[in-house]
Amino acid sequence: MPPDNGPYLIAAYIVAGVIYLGYAVKLISEARRR
Amino acid sequence: MTADPAQAVIRRGIVLTVLALIGVAVVMVMALKFTPVEANQGLAQKIFYIHVPTATVALWIAVPATGLASMLYLWLHDPRLDRFAAASAEVAAVFCLVVLTTGPIWGKPIWGTWWTWDGRLTLTLFLFFLLLGYHTLRGSVRDPLERGRFSAVLGIMGMALVPFIHLSVYLWRGLHPKPVVLKPSAPSLPWEMLRTLLTGFGVFILLYVGFVTLRYGLQLAQDRKEEADAA
Repeated sequence: MPPDNGPYLIAAYIVAGVIYLGYAVKLISEARRR
Repeated sequence: MTADPAQAVIRRGIVLTVLALIGVAVVMVMALKFTPVEANQGLAQKIFYIHVPTATVALWIAVPATGLASMLYLWLHDPRLDRFAAASAEVAAVFCLVVLTTGPIWGKPIWGTWWTWDGRLTLTLFLFFLLLGYHTLRGSVRDPLERGRFSAVLGIMGMALVPFIHLSVYLWRGLHPKPVVLKPSAPSLPWEMLRTLLTGFGVFILLYVGFVTLRYGLQLAQDRKEEADAA
């Protein structure tokens, strides 16, 4: 029976998603300001 | 068609970035729904499908591309090389940040600790600090030629760290697992897992290209504006 550690997976995907999405939004909003 | 080349590059960068972000979502769904759960590590093992391609692109594409462009800049003094190196270094720092956050989230349930001063982890942290230093340096030097020269030296130093980071799991005894794909023998993963991992490699390469194109276009627009103001 695999260990029950699903919340760590969700946390990692949220953190990675927030970093990538945040950086993309920063660059795109900078492009829109120009 | 637009007359401004910077705008064309920015537009291309936005399209590639949006496509790649959709790809990241697809990789996450593939990992969650269509990839088997590893028997010993459980669901936390699926962090691997984001962490490993991100680390691979950062260490084997973003940082070496920064270093090579920096070397060429020192030789040729072409501002396009400096602009590319700066864009690549910034994206490498973002990728390193993802590596340094997703890694400990995996480490806690598997190793029982968020962090250990293992060779691979420590050197990756040094690389991240070096990339932050690169960014800070660029912001603090006004003269473009000096800025390019100084930051090129840091870019080359970042590239010099890569082989040590890759070999750290063989050179020093530590907790970090050895490579399962980038090694002399065949990948040690079942096909269902390898498929998701390879899709991840493709998607994160695209994300790197999208981010760098967008960042390069923004810097090009900024440089053209400064040139126009100075004229």
